[in-house]
Amino acid sequence: MSIMSTRVLTIAGFVVLIAAFFLLEYLARRPGSRIPTLGQWLGYLMRPRIGRVLILLGWWWLGWHYFAR
Amino acid sequence: MATDDVTGRGDRLGRRSGFPLWPGRRGKRLRAAVIGVVLAGYAWAAGAAAPLTTTSLVFVLIPGVVLAAIAYAWPPERIPPPDRLDMTGMFWWVIAVAALFEWEASAYKDNSLPWHPSLTDLINPMIGPHVLRSAAILLWIMVGWALVRR
Repeated sequence: MSIMSTRVLTIAGFVVLIAAFFLLEYLARRPGSRIPTLGQWLGYLMRPRIGRVLILLGWWWLGWHYFAR
Repeated sequence: MATDDVTGRGDRLGRRSGFPLWPGRRGKRLRAAVIGVVLAGYAWAAGAAAPLTTTSLVFVLIPGVVLAAIAYAWPPERIPPPDRLDMTGMFWWVIAVAALFEWEASAYKDNSLPWHPSLTDLINPMIGPHVLRSAAILLWIMVGWALVRR
């Protein structure tokens, strides 16, 4: 397999996975869905203080990773 | 009780008292407009900072410190989280998140070579132009605010 096709395959993998996030969010917002929305499960994880701190740290790390380095 | 005649607001289950985020319709619009302009200006200035500099670090530190201070000292009304999650439904999210981490980790393990780029390698060129970088920073700040409200 050539380097280019492997690169395309890798990018396709990311595209599929990110599309899956949008699909899940769409499915979660349908009435009667058993799938929680992204906000719901993040909110659930942020119920305990440690969860809240870790999620917010993760958010800050993303900003540092993409915008400061 | 002595407090029966006090018209209380806030402190209901799932809500936290704090500064009034939404003071009224007109005030709400004005406040949102002012905050929007300030944030857009901030994102524009932050987008102009060169990566790997103290300036860019400070531009990322400030929103973190401000949101942490708000979350700790002046928590806004929070959107009540669900009491429990449907595990079957949640499982789909777990699969998607785990797969994304695995895909990213495999690229990282391979040292992000051109034939197996990491997500960072793919996103960095996209947010290279000033406008897109500023938009990404604005989005990042808004996500942070959404998380503080959760």
